Amino acid sequence: MVLVLAIGDLHIPHRAPDLPAKFKSMLVPGKIQHILCTGNLCIKEVHDYLKSLSPDLHITRGEYDEDVRYPENKTLMIGQFKLGLCHGHQIVPWGDLDSLAMLQRQLDVDILVTGHTHQFKAYKHEGGVVINPGSATGAYSSITYDVNPSFVLMDIDGLRVVVYVYELIDGEVKVDKIDFKKTATTQSAH
Amino acid sequence: MSSSPVDASASDASSMPQKRFSNLRSVRWRIDLGVLPRSPPASIDDIRRVTADTRRRYANLRRRLLIDHHSPKNGKASPDLTVDNPLSQNPDSNWGRFFSYAELGKMIDQDLSRLYPEHSGYFHTPICQALLRRVLLLWCLQHPEYGYRQGMHELLAPLVYVLHFDLDHLTQVQKLYEDLFSDEFDKISFPEGDFLSSHRIRRVKNWESGIEIENNLHKVCNDHSLDELDPDTREMLLLSDSYGAEGELGVILSERFMEHDAYFMFENLMFGAQGVVSMASFFSPVAGSNSNLPPVIEASSALYYLLSIVDSSLHSHLVELEVEPQYFALRWLRVLFGREFCLDDLLVIWDELFYSSNSRYIDNDVEFNFEVLCSPRGAFIAALAVSMLLYVRSSLLATETATTCLQRLLSFPQNPDMKKLIEQAKSLQMLALESNILSSPCQTYSNKNQLTISRGYSLPSASALAKTSLNVIPDRYWEEQWRVLHKDEELRKQSNGHSSSSGIMKKILTKRLSFSRTNSEPFEGNNAHALSSVRRRLFGDSSEVIEVAEDHVKSECNESPVISDNLNVGKGFPEELADQRTSNCMVEETLLSGHNTLVVSTPTSPHDIGNDHENESEKSSITSNSFLGDNDEETISTEESCSQNKQDEESTNMEEPCCQNLDKQLAQDAEATSSGDVDSIPEQIAAPKDRKPFAGKFQWLWRFGRGSKEENQESKRSQNAGHIEKDSFDISHCDGTYTSCGINKRIEVGDKKVMDTIRNLGQSMLEHIQVIETVFQQDKSKFDSSDNLSNNILGGKGQGTAIAALKELRKISSLLREM
Repeated sequence: MVLVLAIGDLHIPHRAPDLPAKFKSMLVPGKIQHILCTGNLCIKEVHDYLKSLSPDLHITRGEYDEDVRYPENKTLMIGQFKLGLCHGHQIVPWGDLDSLAMLQRQLDVDILVTGHTHQFKAYKHEGGVVINPGSATGAYSSITYDVNPSFVLMDIDGLRVVVYVYELIDGEVKVDKIDFKKTATTQSAH
Repeated sequence: MSSSPVDASASDASSMPQKRFSNLRSVRWRIDLGVLPRSPPASIDDIRRVTADTRRRYANLRRRLLIDHHSPKNGKASPDLTVDNPLSQNPDSNWGRFFSYAELGKMIDQDLSRLYPEHSGYFHTPICQALLRRVLLLWCLQHPEYGYRQGMHELLAPLVYVLHFDLDHLTQVQKLYEDLFSDEFDKISFPEGDFLSSHRIRRVKNWESGIEIENNLHKVCNDHSLDELDPDTREMLLLSDSYGAEGELGVILSERFMEHDAYFMFENLMFGAQGVVSMASFFSPVAGSNSNLPPVIEASSALYYLLSIVDSSLHSHLVELEVEPQYFALRWLRVLFGREFCLDDLLVIWDELFYSSNSRYIDNDVEFNFEVLCSPRGAFIAALAVSMLLYVRSSLLATETATTCLQRLLSFPQNPDMKKLIEQAKSLQMLALESNILSSPCQTYSNKNQLTISRGYSLPSASALAKTSLNVIPDRYWEEQWRVLHKDEELRKQSNGHSSSSGIMKKILTKRLSFSRTNSEPFEGNNAHALSSVRRRLFGDSSEVIEVAEDHVKSECNESPVISDNLNVGKGFPEELADQRTSNCMVEETLLSGHNTLVVSTPTSPHDIGNDHENESEKSSITSNSFLGDNDEETISTEESCSQNKQDEESTNMEEPCCQNLDKQLAQDAEATSSGDVDSIPEQIAAPKDRKPFAGKFQWLWRFGRGSKEENQESKRSQNAGHIEKDSFDISHCDGTYTSCGINKRIEVGDKKVMDTIRNLGQSMLEHIQVIETVFQQDKSKFDSSDNLSNNILGGKGQGTAIAALKELRKISSLLREM
């Protein structure tokens, strides 16, 4: 019953002033145990805000981050799952699944969280999961202007992870759910 | 688990044969708490059936409440994710409930980790902790209006312990009688093998011979038949038989269903099973239906009420230290003394406690004092608390501050004598039950005026002693006092002659002391009451002085009716002047029988005042007022009449030949009193702020009497005067806790408060004067054979001049007073 928030690419204050109000109302402290932030926050205030949501905060460096001390990659273990975190601008072509899979193998993680494309994506791939939480503020990217604010909440429970996707579409929060089970050979997503 | 407690309980069982299952505490408690049927004697089968039902209920409850948030609600295939996502703020969502459960669970865990560290071997095992946690969580979810409060876990823990303990006991017995309990069918294929199963044994029970024969066929040792067992073991066998009624679910001592049983024991304890005392109410801050107080506060005051009946000195000591009962009683009551005793002692206490039934024993229309005392169980709780207080009585009385007192109370001594405590509690329980009902005429009398039940414990012990009614609100206090005293007067008239007048005076003294100490509120009754109140106050004060003169013993006022008798004597005064005199005579008699001649002085005055009849009575009323403080209702009317009389008699007072000084004094006083203010009378009598004026006041009163005597010069008077003389000086030496200020305040209803201060000033001057005069009089009268008071007064020119000077002062003071 571990709740892990995957969020990133906020680009505050350069490209967006703040998180959408509806997202902010949902993100209350006390519920979430870990936060994986892909990067591009960009300023310290956002870092502090995220820190207030949960004490366990992991950030990787995006190209516009003002704090240069964030690492390029990060791996951690939550429950039965190994999670990997990277911003994604280092992976060329941006958002390419095979390249991301290379990184996943390189980091040897079950769940890889990357960003930079500002598009939500979730693949299951070769026994693992690749998740892109998109941009939480809906900031424009180098690729496209049409960005919906989105973030991802993972519920890790034993060998099973449930991925909830929160998207702000036309001013309404839409939630979607994806189940992944970690097994040696089989994968079941429904 | 050691078996020694088992033996103890077994011996108890033998001593109290009527208690069923007394060696199986959990079953006993389940019956007492109402989980299992009590209807004596419920058959084993019935018990098993009820047990099974309760367990089923619990299982349903658990399934319902401990829902899996992953599973869709209401069996819907695709739950609405906008509602059911983890971050949803929607209260309906499963996740929302999950998070609130998590919070509750955290609170419960915190408490559980600190539960019974000395028994951590059992209570801190993961199984036990999980069990406790689940039970508490489910109960709180089932009753969200109570939530989880600290202390509930301490109520649950002994219940679980008892269940566990009995299971241990059962396994021991099972080891002992293996063959009977065993369930093996594969030993021998003979039908005889079936005889070993308890089911068959029960069936074949009647065929004793058959069993014996069969049993003798095979198996050599450890062969028991059912009827060989003692009844306890047999019962245990039947209770735990897997093949009895309801099968496994009906096995009463079952480890599998410990949680279920614990839950229902806890539920019944918390809700009292439709009884009176429900522990849950103790945890809630919501005011009860009967009183406006939260139940735990009401129970605390019931505790103090009972204490005041039983041991008023301790009660008044605690009240004096301002130790409110809920400071310590909250902890005692909320966990039913769980933190005061070790677990084994606590089990004994809870045995007794649960044994007392919880049903309301009085009808709904009978008025009662305290809700908690309406059932034997509640009464036992209060009684046990009181007996605990009495157990540490001496050390409590020795404490000087509230802090030390509370420290003593909150760290109850280890290993108290449990038998003694419990027996005392049982005796007090009956007392509590009786006192709860307001049955005495005085109580109902006062109840008619008082519809609200207030915190009785805060009242002085005297009032509680006077009658057990505690329905007193401060503004009704004096009415009740009047009633009390009135009733006592009647009682007293019936039984003439009190040889124990000294004891009476003691009681009066203590009563007055307690009155004075605790009642400084301005009386807000009628002014008419002031007179009699003053009268009574002074009476009481004089008795106080007497008491002080003898010994400063502040005894328990257990004989308040006696006190009240004497007081009532004075109370009768305002009703009729003639009565006054007679009652004064009576007072005189009673007082004289002891050494209370001081007080007699005022009573004599009515006799003596022959010339100025009304004046006399007026003065006597004044003096009697001064002696008999306390009651309001009659004072004003009489006062007014007296004041009127005084106005008439003023001149005559002035013209008295003999003791001019005194007469003038009287006149002035009369003037002052007749100035129209009823309060002035008490003022004259009462020394508002002074303590020492008691002696002086008494002197002054004595002089009143003397002055009147001078008019008539009766032998009796002189005799009395002689008496008075002697005693007055004794008294003047004493330091009385003269509470004239109490009187004054009482009398000053509130209309004349503006003038009061001025009057007080004058009064204080008067007091000082009186003291000085007293000194003179002392020297004089010590050498007199006490025949003619006037001689005493007028003899000695030096003294006369001094007196004259003092007279001047007096005039000034009276003038001041009048302003």
